[in-house]
Amino acid sequence: MEKVLLKNIENTNSADITEYQKIGGYASIAKALEKERKDIIEEVKKAGLRGRGGAGFPAAMKWTFASGDPKFPKYLVCNADEGEPGTFKDRPILEKNPHLLIEGMVISGYALNAEYGFIYLRGEYPDAKHILERAIAQAYDRNFLGDDIAGKGIVFHLSVHQGAGAYICGEETALIESLEGDRGQPRIKPPFPVNVGVWSKPTIVNNVETLSNLPYIIEIGGEAYSKIGSPECPGPKLYCVSGHIEKPGVYELPMGTSLREIIYTHCGGIKGGKQLKAVIPGGISTPVLPPDKIDCPMDFVNMPKHGSMLGSGAVIVMDETVCLVKVCYRALKFFEHESCGKCTPCREGTGWLRSILERIEHGEGQEGDIDLLLSVSSNILGKTFCPLGDGAASVVQNFIKHFRPEFEGHITAKTCAVEG
Amino acid sequence: MITVTINEKEITLEKPITVLEAARSAGISIPTLCYHPALERYGGCRLCLVEVEKMPRLQTACTLMTADGMIVRTETDAIAGVRRGILEFLLINHPLDCPYCDKAGECELQDLVEKYGPTTGRFKEKKRKMPESLEDAIIVRNMERCIVCTRCVRMCEGVQGASAIAVMERGGHSHIEPFSGGKYDCEYCGNCISVCPVGAIMSRMHRHSYRPWQMTDQVETICPYCGVGCTVTAQVRDDAIKRIIPKLGSPVNNGLLCSRGRFGYEFVGNRDRLTRPLIRKNGVLEESTWEEAIHRVTQKLGEIKEKYGSSSVAGIASPRCTNEDNYVFQKFMRVTIGTHNIDSTARTGYAGAQQFIENIFGQGATANIISGISRSDVVFVVGGDPTTVNPILGLQIRACSRKGGAVLTLGKVSGLRYFSPHALDPASFTETVLLEGIVTELKNRKELSGSHSSLESNIKDIAVSVEDVIKECKIREDDFHSFITLLSEASNPVLIIGKEIIQSNGASYKLLLLSAINYLINGRIYLLSERANEQGLLDMGCASDLLPGSRPVEVAELRRRYERAWHVTLPDKPGLTLFEMIHGAKEGSVRAMYVMGENPLFNLPNSENVKEALGNLDFLVVQDLFMTETAESADVVLPALSWAEKEGTFTNMERRIQKLRKVISRAGKEDWRIISDVSGNMGVSFPYDSAEDVFAEISKVSPLHRDLTYDDIEEGEALWPFKGEPLRGGMEISCNKGDGATESGKYFLAIDRPLFHSGTLSRKSSALMRLCPEAVARISSTTAAELSVTDGDSIRISTRIGSLSLPVFIDEAYDGSLIKVSNNFRGKGVFSLMEYSLDPVLKSPCMDNVIIEIEKSDRHVQRDPKNDSEVKK
Ligand SMILES: Cc1cc2nc3c(=O)[nH]c(=O)nc-3n(C[C@H](O)[C@H](O)[C@H](O)COP(=O)(O)O)c2cc1C
Ligand code: SF4
Ligand code: SF4
Ligand code: SF4
Ligand code: FES
Repeated sequence: MEKVLLKNIENTNSADITEYQKIGGYASIAKALEKERKDIIEEVKKAGLRGRGGAGFPAAMKWTFASGDPKFPKYLVCNADEGEPGTFKDRPILEKNPHLLIEGMVISGYALNAEYGFIYLRGEYPDAKHILERAIAQAYDRNFLGDDIAGKGIVFHLSVHQGAGAYICGEETALIESLEGDRGQPRIKPPFPVNVGVWSKPTIVNNVETLSNLPYIIEIGGEAYSKIGSPECPGPKLYCVSGHIEKPGVYELPMGTSLREIIYTHCGGIKGGKQLKAVIPGGISTPVLPPDKIDCPMDFVNMPKHGSMLGSGAVIVMDETVCLVKVCYRALKFFEHESCGKCTPCREGTGWLRSILERIEHGEGQEGDIDLLLSVSSNILGKTFCPLGDGAASVVQNFIKHFRPEFEGHITAKTCAVEG
Repeated sequence: MITVTINEKEITLEKPITVLEAARSAGISIPTLCYHPALERYGGCRLCLVEVEKMPRLQTACTLMTADGMIVRTETDAIAGVRRGILEFLLINHPLDCPYCDKAGECELQDLVEKYGPTTGRFKEKKRKMPESLEDAIIVRNMERCIVCTRCVRMCEGVQGASAIAVMERGGHSHIEPFSGGKYDCEYCGNCISVCPVGAIMSRMHRHSYRPWQMTDQVETICPYCGVGCTVTAQVRDDAIKRIIPKLGSPVNNGLLCSRGRFGYEFVGNRDRLTRPLIRKNGVLEESTWEEAIHRVTQKLGEIKEKYGSSSVAGIASPRCTNEDNYVFQKFMRVTIGTHNIDSTARTGYAGAQQFIENIFGQGATANIISGISRSDVVFVVGGDPTTVNPILGLQIRACSRKGGAVLTLGKVSGLRYFSPHALDPASFTETVLLEGIVTELKNRKELSGSHSSLESNIKDIAVSVEDVIKECKIREDDFHSFITLLSEASNPVLIIGKEIIQSNGASYKLLLLSAINYLINGRIYLLSERANEQGLLDMGCASDLLPGSRPVEVAELRRRYERAWHVTLPDKPGLTLFEMIHGAKEGSVRAMYVMGENPLFNLPNSENVKEALGNLDFLVVQDLFMTETAESADVVLPALSWAEKEGTFTNMERRIQKLRKVISRAGKEDWRIISDVSGNMGVSFPYDSAEDVFAEISKVSPLHRDLTYDDIEEGEALWPFKGEPLRGGMEISCNKGDGATESGKYFLAIDRPLFHSGTLSRKSSALMRLCPEAVARISSTTAAELSVTDGDSIRISTRIGSLSLPVFIDEAYDGSLIKVSNNFRGKGVFSLMEYSLDPVLKSPCMDNVIIEIEKSDRHVQRDPKNDSEVKK
């Protein structure tokens, strides 16, 4: 497949506007501005573009809601918080191909009649901040941003807002709170951001990768785009693969490439020829899979059928040397640390789960602890305010579901059979 | 119409409300913790989760809006399990110290666990520890008990508008903390305490001295402090008030209180309360019996009346006393003594201003409902800070701003500074020009409608050019224009007028201009009122020119009604106003004075002059709770019962009559009873056995209160214009432009009206004294720089009539050359420095042109409230 999102990024100057334009960059803006706003949304609908932030929500549907709201101004927010552990797929776009994102945002801004855009950037990406700001300045210079884009009287302004290091601020409503300067905590939905978002105005929040698909959709048309990858959710997809793998990295492949193909064909298999023990396919919040489940196509439709989710496409590969109790414990430490504290089950439950896992991991597990873990996690699952708490509970449930003997072993032997 | 089914029960709703509200309206209970009816929805505790058909996840009833056809179940086994699970989570880190916690017995968590919760705990780990914070003098925080429902934060930020506290840290470390650290830097409304469902934020007053169930009594009454008239519930144990709390749904304050209302009740039990009558013998006040004291009053008043005539006796009534007390007092003066020499401190502003406005727009023009302010679209504030004078009214302005209304202020108003005010801050002594400019511009835009010819004829010639306004007032032209646009386009505007403008030079003319503005924008006027029954006292006829029901004394046809009722002939001319009385005393035409529940020697400007005047009297009777400055110079002092110890009614600034109920018993007599005793002794007996008897007479005599009964009042049906007949306006308007004071000095003195104090009562309440222990000179940072002083330094402020040395407090919110000093602390009242002139129309004092000299004085030593005689109980 021709590279779309990571095109030209091996070029050391790929973040520079001249390089970007050399390979045809920013050409889609002029093309888009010739179309009516609603026709762009129609193209996106035809393309079947689904959000790449994790939930896979159809982009055109979100845009239609926002366009239908009569309130002005409207805001376009790019979610570049990339906080899900294991995820680093947006990073190459932000650092190596920022103009692709900017171009995508200008097109989206035009389609949505939004005159202001924000890139909400992960606090731990300081380099990306400078790169983006420089790229934005260049785009202003060449009139791809500003009050009269491409001489067509189109207005779009863009700025970068850096987060302060909270995972929850990747959740779109918490992101908006944070963007407004408030405490990063999710808001009640409905109303949804498409109607009541930043400063109570209609707001479209899309992931970096989602928006970066726009120039290509405009270039080749929605119809042609929809032929790439899985028919139900087409397009190119970035998979970021880490862990015990020969060639970790970010891979741009057609949506729906199977886990097996990603691991063994593209990434060169398990490091040192060891045995695969478990894979987390879409970031820490998605259910872990045992080795016999890796033939499923990695897309939004098929992964749930195989007991997991595509999530952010962050594949974490673990070989036979890994203690899964420890991984589960570390995951819960993360969730406990990142719980915003708004709702009771997540605020109190993640810490409780972590402390039980900590005991087990330290050889202090007691009989009944596994049932307690399952019971506490089921008291969280489905009861929290936002998906963060659910993620924590489902991690525990799925690790126990697939690897219960390992937990039992820790409790009875008071030690770890894998790591000793 | 929406129909929803909850637990098989069909509920029909007029408009969409939350599932929780719908369920509760149908008598179905759903447990909640983070929900509070006065606060924005939150959905955090997750206790109210319910099953909704066609929705994959459980839903929080407190946030989910009902939709037609929705089917909800709240009592399934699964839901019972969810509730158990949530409560278990809330308890794992909870200290379970109910036996020690003051909240036990009224704790929502305790009650819910009892009803829905787990019976055993499964949590084996160590609980989270956070030491209790006793750093603040008034509010104690115990964050181990906090369930992070954020009710307190939503109250503080979303209702009170103080934004003083927030959730700090996140996840399991989340807890509530003031931004200022351990101590609060806030308005101390205590509304956070009211909404906390558990014992995490509590009052330190009477800590560990009672349990909710040990309260022997709980009495709903009215706050004794300001003219807003908040409903309060006083809780009592062993005949002492232990706590004052608000009640949701009450009129005016609907579940909210301010610092004075909540924490200012301790004066009631203060050990300095007078207990026995005192008579001056050989120059000293000595304890006596009631009989002897009343005999002495009777005898002396009789003698003086005999010798110098009725008009040589004068009475000062009290805006702290009930309608019944005040009615009986004025009747005593008019019938028993035979004079209209009855007046009060309402004369320092409220009375004159109200009368002026009513002459134009009719009686009751200022009787507007306070809760209506939040629903208006433009609020124009002139002459004071409503958030300190009438705090609960101030919250209405904040709410209006929050809902998108515009707040316009003349000058800077500190308590509204975070509510995007459009402030026009004219140079000193140029308000008149500015107001004229506003009237001119509004006339240009709105045109005179002709519906009020006398007002129109007074303003038709007003014409000031915008350029002149801009130049003289030194304001920005844009600001002026946007002000005018907001005013002229307002559809439901409100004008709020405070004392500062009423007590300024040319006040009556300024009031004319404000009335014109009000007329042109078709607004409603609110007059700020510092005392709980200032309005009631006027309505009872405690004014030298008005009879009960505010009927003018001079109109013979009106007078006849009272003469018939009281079987007397009344003088046909008004009596002396407050300031005329002082003047009369000084020059000898007034020989005796009867002061009820007032402290003129402290509460009136030019205290030294008042002292001299009162010293000149042949006889002074003071009836009060405490040995006030005035009582100290009295010949007879009579101890009265306080607000908490008697029945009666107050009339608030909306002219809502509300019932005061006896909270505790104490030996002694109500003010009306003492006066009745004196009157009886003087040969005119008053036939009252109870406050209700007095009110029965009021409702016969006052045309305004006709047929009104205690039952009507109890039922909340005593709203303006009651069942009575208000007088129409449209009277001839006279006003006075003043002497055109100009900026002739460098620094000016002004009256500070602090949130935590109000006259003599608040300085006898230890909580308020802890919040604000001493008098300060509030100065701007520019002034501080000019004088090279910083916080902690003292300055000496001198005027022609006196001088005071005070510690400075640098107020960053403010930048003028005014030095503000309050009138609350003994020996340190601003009135001791203030000379005044009287507005010829309003008869109120003008005090805006007090030029002062300032010098730096010795460094100030902090006053220790613990060793303070004023505070000790
Ligand atoms: C706890 C949590 C964290 C999230 N973090 C991210 C993130 O880092 N980046 C992202 O794009 N979306 C994240 N999301 C998803 C966003 O809420 C939102 O669905 C997404 O930005 C929408 O963009 P898309 O439609 O383009 O995917 C997160 C969601 C949750 C619940
Ligand atoms: S599940 Fe609740 S506590 Fe956890 S992050 Fe979401 S809102 Fe915050
Ligand atoms: S202090 Fe009380 S009201 Fe505030 S969050 Fe904690 S429990 Fe809730
Ligand atoms: S606003 Fe006035 S009446 Fe209400 S509590 Fe405060 S002082 Fe009392
Ligand atoms: S009461 Fe509904 S979530 Fe707390």
